[in-house]
Amino acid sequence: MKFEWFVASRYLLSRRKQSFISIISIISIVGVGLGVATVILVIAVLDGVEHGLKERFLANEAHIVLRLIDNGFYSDYENKIEAIEDVEGVVAASPVVYSQLAVFREGSKQIEDVILIKGIVPEVEDKVTSFTKFVNGSYDFQNDDLIKQARFLNDETITGGIVLGSRLAQRLTVAKGDVLKLVVNMTEDQLNPGAYIPLIRNFVVIGFYESELTVYDDHIAYIDLKAAQKIYNEVGRVNSIFIRLENAEFAPKMSEEIEEAAQFSVLDMPTTRTWMEKYAPLFSALELEKIATVIIEALIILVAAFNIASTLIMTVMEKTRDVGMLRTLGASRGHIMGIFMIKGSVIGMLGTLAGTTLGLYICWLLSTNVMRPSPWIANACIGILSCSVIGIAYRRIGTVSVTFIIFATIFSINMFITPFLVLSSTMRTVLIILGVIALVIFWIIVLIKSWQKLSSIWKPTFFALGLLAIGFILFCYVKPISLEELGLSAIYQMNQLPIKVNWFFVGFINALSFAICWLATIYPAWQASNLKPIEALQYE
Amino acid sequence: MDKLIRIDNLHKSFYDGDTELKVLKGVNLDIHQAEVLAIMGASGVGKSTLLHIIGTLDRPTEGNIFYEDEDITAFSERELTRFRNDAIGFVFQFHQLLPEFTALENVAMSGLIRNTRKVENKNGNRYSSDAYEKAEILLESVGLSERLGHFPSQLSGGERQRVAIARALVNQPKVVLADEPTGNIDDKTSEAVLDVLQDINERLKQTFIIVTHDSRLSERANRTVHLVDGKIAD
Repeated sequence: MKFEWFVASRYLLSRRKQSFISIISIISIVGVGLGVATVILVIAVLDGVEHGLKERFLANEAHIVLRLIDNGFYSDYENKIEAIEDVEGVVAASPVVYSQLAVFREGSKQIEDVILIKGIVPEVEDKVTSFTKFVNGSYDFQNDDLIKQARFLNDETITGGIVLGSRLAQRLTVAKGDVLKLVVNMTEDQLNPGAYIPLIRNFVVIGFYESELTVYDDHIAYIDLKAAQKIYNEVGRVNSIFIRLENAEFAPKMSEEIEEAAQFSVLDMPTTRTWMEKYAPLFSALELEKIATVIIEALIILVAAFNIASTLIMTVMEKTRDVGMLRTLGASRGHIMGIFMIKGSVIGMLGTLAGTTLGLYICWLLSTNVMRPSPWIANACIGILSCSVIGIAYRRIGTVSVTFIIFATIFSINMFITPFLVLSSTMRTVLIILGVIALVIFWIIVLIKSWQKLSSIWKPTFFALGLLAIGFILFCYVKPISLEELGLSAIYQMNQLPIKVNWFFVGFINALSFAICWLATIYPAWQASNLKPIEALQYE
Repeated sequence: MDKLIRIDNLHKSFYDGDTELKVLKGVNLDIHQAEVLAIMGASGVGKSTLLHIIGTLDRPTEGNIFYEDEDITAFSERELTRFRNDAIGFVFQFHQLLPEFTALENVAMSGLIRNTRKVENKNGNRYSSDAYEKAEILLESVGLSERLGHFPSQLSGGERQRVAIARALVNQPKVVLADEPTGNIDDKTSEAVLDVLQDINERLKQTFIIVTHDSRLSERANRTVHLVDGKIAD
């Protein structure tokens, strides 16, 4: 083994007597590990939310919408669609008449809302926005039974069926089979110049559109393409083409290609809008949030690196005489620097690996719906394991009993008394949190104390058992976070907090963490290498 | 006898602000091959400083030290480090063993340091790749063959000092410098340590320079010089 590694590994592993791993190394490793785990976890949640939102938005969103700049109608759309569908990377394109109209209910005397109307061919639209998947009811705009019934019951002419956004329908208080009146046009009254008569078309509500996206459910209605063309008097013409791509991320790159394929004349001034432009404010806010988070998280790792630096400075002080002796024996300044840099870097590396493992494990727990054992089993685990550590360290049943009684007292006060005290709920929460903190500190002190007393044969065993126990306790307690229970599912449009691990980022954070830790070792190591042998030997 | 070390008009001053404290004021001394030289003197007279300078741990203010006609005062820091590793062994008043390492590892340490350099012996092998073997033989020769795997904290004062002596010898140095080697152990144990020193000197023809108060030690030395007022008294 190389000399520096030989000395550094011994310094890393033991204090004075040969033991398993020194407590100060463990604390430094845990410091770095917690930092790295937090970073991985937080970024996985942010990525998950972004990814989840994107998936939800894109489920019924066209990736590109092609229209003219003045929103005008154009003919020959069948050929244009064919040309667009021939472009590589395009899945489907659907002709749409897209406009806004005022609506009111049958029997009502006033306009109740202005809604977005999409005139579509359901089968074609389905390929672009999965239209039929979100319809509760029928989307047979021509021949649904409800239309026949309405025609039979009403004297008025019925143009066709309409599928209403579910929230919109709630607001208008209409049910399936009700007739909705759309104000299509205004014509000047011949007899009474200056007054306008609205041209009204009747539609029967045949279904509800339930995408759970407020943007749609609150504002949109679907009618047949032919009916839409008819009410605008634009038979054979449309004003938009909705397009789905194989990969939504390429939308900005492909929109130009699609514009060209559609072969509009220059005077028509065609224009495209991608889904990214539509949701730009949201996704740029998410992006900004992520950048800010990464910076803050880098600071967490920096804090952990300071931890390494201070640990090393302490080691250097503790080992000053050893450094003096090694220099006397002929070790060069490079050797000394190497020893301390290796020690610090190994701590940084172990901490980074441990943190990555922990972070990924928690990510897995947060995204896996498996039945968990009762937390009581986890608590029993901690109890048994801790008591056996104390028992083997002190070999006295009295010590074990005393620590167990103290633990049980704090635990039961926390679990059984505090919740029933007559206090405000905030006060109770604060008390419970303080209780948990007291418990954790108590265990840490007790375990560190007994750990130091533990003989070196037991240390690896309990170290491994402790890791397993931590894993098991996390398994019991960490479950996917239900947004439904928190009442946030409507806002985020998801049932559980989504987690998405970005492997590239995990690699990046590993490299960053290791680099920061490595840099933190330089100063203490340099300080050690600069010690004068004689002064170091006489150091008390 | 061959002359091993020649010290020529050695001066050393320490500075505390503007005040100059002259410790060594022109030391002239020859040390011969295979002799045990005891340097005696009142405390604070500069014995240890002289020893540190001979051992290249400190540099003189003025004057030269020749090891076999090579002037080490002209060496660079790097050359001195290497020279210290190859040619000098130290024994201190406090054993200065590394607490994390066993007796065997402590003794082998300077051999391991030497292994990191590209030093080759006549056969083309790395010079002391057998550092552990040598360490074992040396620990046996100081009577500690039963203690190889013990840590310093598990050894008695005399045993620690004997390990320290073995450590000084592992790279077959030109000279072993000992600073009050018996200063911190009781009389009976001192005798045992001195027996070890004498035995090594006789068997291996190892040169020793020993700084001491201990008159019994100087009795066993081949030659004793006294350091008085920064100079060697005749």
